[in-house]
This record gives sequence, structure tokens and C-alpha cells, in this order.
Amino acid sequence: MSFEPKILGIACNWCTYTGADLAGTTRLQYPQNTRVVRVMCSSRINPSFIFRAFQLGADGVLVGGCHPGDCHYNTGNLYARRRLAVVKKILEFSGMEPGRFRVEWISASEGNKFAEVVREFTQQIRELGPQTKFKITN
Amino acid sequence: MATSFKQIEQNLKNEARALLESGRVALVLAYTRGYDDRHPLPYTAKCASDADNIIFNEYCNANLARYLVRHPRGTKIAIAVKPADSRAVVVLIQEEKVHRDDLIILGIPVLGMKNHKTDEIIDSRTTGGLYNPVLCDILLGEEITGEPIVSPYDVLAPYEAMDKEERWAFWKKELERCIRCYACRKACPMCYCDPCFIDLDKPRWGEKAPGPGGNLMYHLTRFHHLAGRCIDCGECYRACPVDIPLHLFHKKVAKECEEMFGLAAGMSIDEKPALVDFRMDDSDAILE
Repeated sequence: MSFEPKILGIACNWCTYTGADLAGTTRLQYPQNTRVVRVMCSSRINPSFIFRAFQLGADGVLVGGCHPGDCHYNTGNLYARRRLAVVKKILEFSGMEPGRFRVEWISASEGNKFAEVVREFTQQIRELGPQTKFKITN
Repeated sequence: MATSFKQIEQNLKNEARALLESGRVALVLAYTRGYDDRHPLPYTAKCASDADNIIFNEYCNANLARYLVRHPRGTKIAIAVKPADSRAVVVLIQEEKVHRDDLIILGIPVLGMKNHKTDEIIDSRTTGGLYNPVLCDILLGEEITGEPIVSPYDVLAPYEAMDKEERWAFWKKELERCIRCYACRKACPMCYCDPCFIDLDKPRWGEKAPGPGGNLMYHLTRFHHLAGRCIDCGECYRACPVDIPLHLFHKKVAKECEEMFGLAAGMSIDEKPALVDFRMDDSDAILE
């Protein structure tokens, strides 16, 4: 059987999730490997979510938020930007492939961009293969 | 030329006695003798006669800033700090865990300490590149000047040069040895959360029994929680009963924070730790 990646998508309610909605209503085609979880803001994302997702078997994690300066709560994504940058560095230094974690700013009107990013990211994870480093095996 | 340890010990005793006698502080955080000279203990002097028990030698490594947050707010405390410890005090002030006015900081300039397990020298290379405390009220020895400043991040070079498979193999091997005694968390001046995320049942972030999965979760999250706050004292490494080099990972995160946000932790009480702050012009490139 060919490898089907499992991807966790975490999307902010005001921009990326609405953008994903738009991608759906405009009938854009994109791979179904991403399971999207909606959070109210990208700064709601606890870094442990990402580590835990990898442990529980995610092959990739995609985080979507508003463009800097456009946050519904004014400054949420600016904090998130610093926080997620550190997550990236930690994953990298621990030996995880850096390509398995991606952050994108996608606004509510960018349905096209959402579909494009998901397509690209799924392809990238497909090439990287199954994630085995963090995954807990019994 | 650095003041000798004997001289610093004498100065520390005198200052502690004077402060306690005058009633300016309720307690003095310092060191006392353990079962031998190699194993000094953290010590809380509460009255003037306690000052005689205070010692200071090259093995006094414990970061006393750890004990600041244990006392009720408003307690007047005098604390003996080495250069790295003074940065911890600064971070605690930045985070409003202690108030600057409640503290009398007794600064100790040191050229180098010694690891009580290995006799390895702990100098500015391993403790944040400093010889003098960044913040103090009373300096207990002569300020050290003219010593070469070595980058605290040089020790990282061999690990950064590894490719990611090697690095993963290295950390996997190290972290699997963890017995989850939480000595790192107990020794760390920045780890004051109660309860710690790993002790929670709802949500259960990671397995609590020692094992590869829970160990990884605990340590990775701890590295993140200390990002922009870790002041590189290296106590986590020295406290570890199985000698996991946790300080290397913390150092790496500190280095990245300094490069990305232009801020080393605990250098000035007017700044904020990197992750509770932001700038509009932070570059998106940091996410790539």
C-alpha cells in the first residue's frame, strides 16, 4: 500500500479557517490528508500541541494564521510568530526534519492560497515519508 | 585579578551579619558546608549568628535564585549571586516574581568555578560569557576586568556540525536515560510553575513513567518553556543524576533566540523576556 501522510492542520478561526471555507465553497480540489483543527487564534497554539502531534503519529504539522498586523486580536499572531520560530529551531536541533513543520499566513480571502499550501505541503511530506522519530510505538 | 574564595567568603559573612543585625533583610541566601567541602549546600541564614555557618568555595555552584520564589512576596531577602545567577535574578524581576526593592543582591565576581562531579572548570564559556554580575547592590570582590570574553556558544559547534540523523541518535540516546527524577526542574531558577505541565492529568501532555515518549515530551516542552529565559547557568546538567547534557539544548535555544530576537536573557531589568514580547518588524524568515 502506498504511503498516505497524516497531517495535522491548525487553523485560526478568523483567517485561515475562513480561508479554508472559501476554498471549499469555491470547489477547489486539494488533498484530504490534512485534518484541520480550528483554534481561535494562532497564539492559542501551545507548542506542546505540535510535539504531541508528532508523538501521536502525525507526519507533518501545518499551522495557519492571519497575516502579521491583521490579527483579529491585534497582536496574537505576533507572539505566535516568535513562539513557533522557537518550536522550529527545537525540532531542528533535536534531529527532526525541518520540512515537517510549516507555518503560513493565510487570510480569509485567500482560498486559493490555502489549497495551494495544502497541496504543496502534502507533496513535501509524501516525499519525506513516514515520520518515525518522535512517534510512540508500543 | 580575582579576589580569592577565602576573601569572598569573609566578605559574604560580614555583609550577611551586618544586614541581619540591622534588620534590613529577613534572610540571607548563601551556602553552607555539606558533608565535605566538595558538596556545599544552599543555606538560608535567618539571624546574625547564622552568618558564621556561611561558606564560599569553588564548588558553590547551586543557583540560589531558585530559592527566591519560595518566600512570600514582600519578604526582604539578601541573595549571594555569581555572574550567571545574577541574570536569573534579573529574569525573575522582569517576570515580576520578585520585586527589585525587596532584594539586596550580593554580587560575587568569579573567574571560574568547578563542577563537583568532574572537577571540570566552569568559566564564562560555560556560564553565559560573564565574569561579573549584571545587577548587584554590593560587590563582594574586586570587579574582574581585562579577561578575554569567550562566546558561551562555542561548545555547541560539534553538535551543530552533526547531520540531523546523528543529532537525533544523540538526543534519543541521551533522553532515553532520563529517570524522570525532575532534579533539572528543581534546580532550575526559572522552573517555578505549580503544577508543572507534566504533572497534570487533564490534559495529560505526556506519559509520566520514564520511557522514550514521555521523556521526549517533557524535555522538548521544557526547552521551549525556557526559551528566551534560560540564563545558561548549567545547573540542570550538574543536578542530573545520569548526566544528561541538557544545558547544550538550552544553550542552543538561547543562541537562536539571541540571533532571532536580538536579546540575551536576563541582561537588563528594563527588557522583557523574548517570548512575551514582539516587534512588528520581526522577520517572517524566522519561520522558514
